[in-house]
Amino acid sequence: MTLGALGVVGLGVYLVLLIGIAVAARLARRDASAGDHFLAGRELGVFVLFLTLYATAYSGNSLLGYPGEAYRRGFSWVMSVGFMMSIIVCFHMLAPKLRPVAIARGFVTPGDWVRHRFAGERGEHPLRLGVAVLMLIALANFLFAQLKAMGVLTAQVTGGLVSYEVGVIVLAAMILFYETIGGMRAVAWTDAAQGILMVVGLAALLGWLLGDAGGISALTRDVAAMRPDAVRVPDVTERMNWASTIVLLGVASVVYPQAIQRVYAARSGVALRRAFALMTFMPLTTTLVVLLIGLAAIPRFEALGVVEADRVMPLLLGIWAEAGTLQLAAAAVVFFGALAAIMSTADSVLLSLGSIAAEDFRHRHRSGTDAALGKGIAAGVMIAMAGLALAARDVTLWGLIELKMELLIQCAPAFLLALHWRRLRADAAFAGLAVGCVVAVVGVMLDAKRIGGVHIGVIGLAVNLTIAWLGSLGRTTSR
Amino acid sequence: MTAQLRRRLRVALLVAIAVLYGLSVPWYRAGGSDTGTLWGLPTWVTVAVACYGIVAVLNALAWWLTEIPDHPEDGD
Repeated sequence: MTLGALGVVGLGVYLVLLIGIAVAARLARRDASAGDHFLAGRELGVFVLFLTLYATAYSGNSLLGYPGEAYRRGFSWVMSVGFMMSIIVCFHMLAPKLRPVAIARGFVTPGDWVRHRFAGERGEHPLRLGVAVLMLIALANFLFAQLKAMGVLTAQVTGGLVSYEVGVIVLAAMILFYETIGGMRAVAWTDAAQGILMVVGLAALLGWLLGDAGGISALTRDVAAMRPDAVRVPDVTERMNWASTIVLLGVASVVYPQAIQRVYAARSGVALRRAFALMTFMPLTTTLVVLLIGLAAIPRFEALGVVEADRVMPLLLGIWAEAGTLQLAAAAVVFFGALAAIMSTADSVLLSLGSIAAEDFRHRHRSGTDAALGKGIAAGVMIAMAGLALAARDVTLWGLIELKMELLIQCAPAFLLALHWRRLRADAAFAGLAVGCVVAVVGVMLDAKRIGGVHIGVIGLAVNLTIAWLGSLGRTTSR
Repeated sequence: MTAQLRRRLRVALLVAIAVLYGLSVPWYRAGGSDTGTLWGLPTWVTVAVACYGIVAVLNALAWWLTEIPDHPEDGD
């Protein structure tokens, strides 16, 4: 059996399993409340919480985008290990302070924090709207990236038996069904299985690649022979970009809506800190492995000419599957692990998107977010993003990540600064957010995404923080 | 271990993590230079991986020392 045929059969079985899990999650729900649907009744324990954080953080971007970047940039992409770890470091600024308030007040969405923290202040409403809009843009971007990754992976691994377009449409429909029926409980349950699948599959793929190359030393030699620049010390601009990416990804990822909602959804503070303690090691077992996989592609594909970055991983899986029966089975495991991770991330994104759209634009807080409205809005966005994924195929996954983070990072002061500095005022925070966004958007429009290697979003954040700080100085606070 | 000692240790760990992040980027090497290999990887890459490995251990310890209360403290 070829990987293509095995991929089609396995895909069918996998989709049936997903339907079963969604139905089981539906039967396990306690009530029809938003807290139960969007936060799994706030009952996620250490193990499931850890794996759902893991499967959410390591998505289509990491599994398809990062090997492509390693292939393009060479060894300097070791920065990816650092920036993925920086996310868990930056959570120190958020989780310990936000979690107790969130539990006491029954927060469901990120906007609930803004509403609570700046209650009664001038500028609270625009700030909450600004944060919600940025988060929705980031989530829609994220959803688009997952749909694109699903199409690429499915088409490649089924050997074209399932086309990119069919892959996007069928899997998007499945996600929509799955999210609507099962909520976060279904997402968390499948995350647990796919997290394990992903780690085992990637380690097996790396083992085969290194064995085939003759070990790490031989791999480094092969890369150096094929592309000497890939092993040399990066120049100053690339080093600045390294540091900037650590800040950009670390800070922006902490204010990911779905990350914030997992802080809310943990069963207890103890479960949350234990899950973070485990998560901090995952860049070593995942991102480092993905880096080496991307590097192993350089000697393999360089002679063939330029390979589209996002196709590096699927192409490697195809070659691996041809090496023998065992390798075929292992390639299928990686494929389904990756696909499951991508679909799960899309699930989480849809959940967050629906909850923010339904709740954070309201002028007043209502007890009980409208889960049905959230589901309807999420369905509309899903259809729009699926259409976009079919039309716009020439943007790389890493390009999408950067674009999203440049904007999302502008929300950081409303959370991180607001949690630690009582004098921060809503109008000053909003002014900072607005100017930071203008800096980031103008930079992107003028094709000045980086200045001396530093992301325009990081520069925007510096301006944002300065305005928020200066605007809050010398003013008394009611809180 | 007292709460105050835990807090101080946690801060010390976070400072050490920040220093390691600074060291992980090869500021101290000339751009474009060939540094040879260490443990199979270019030396500057091995240094970065080692830094991130230590960061992982220190960060896990920092989370172990972190208190995340399930109820807001007075005044919050």
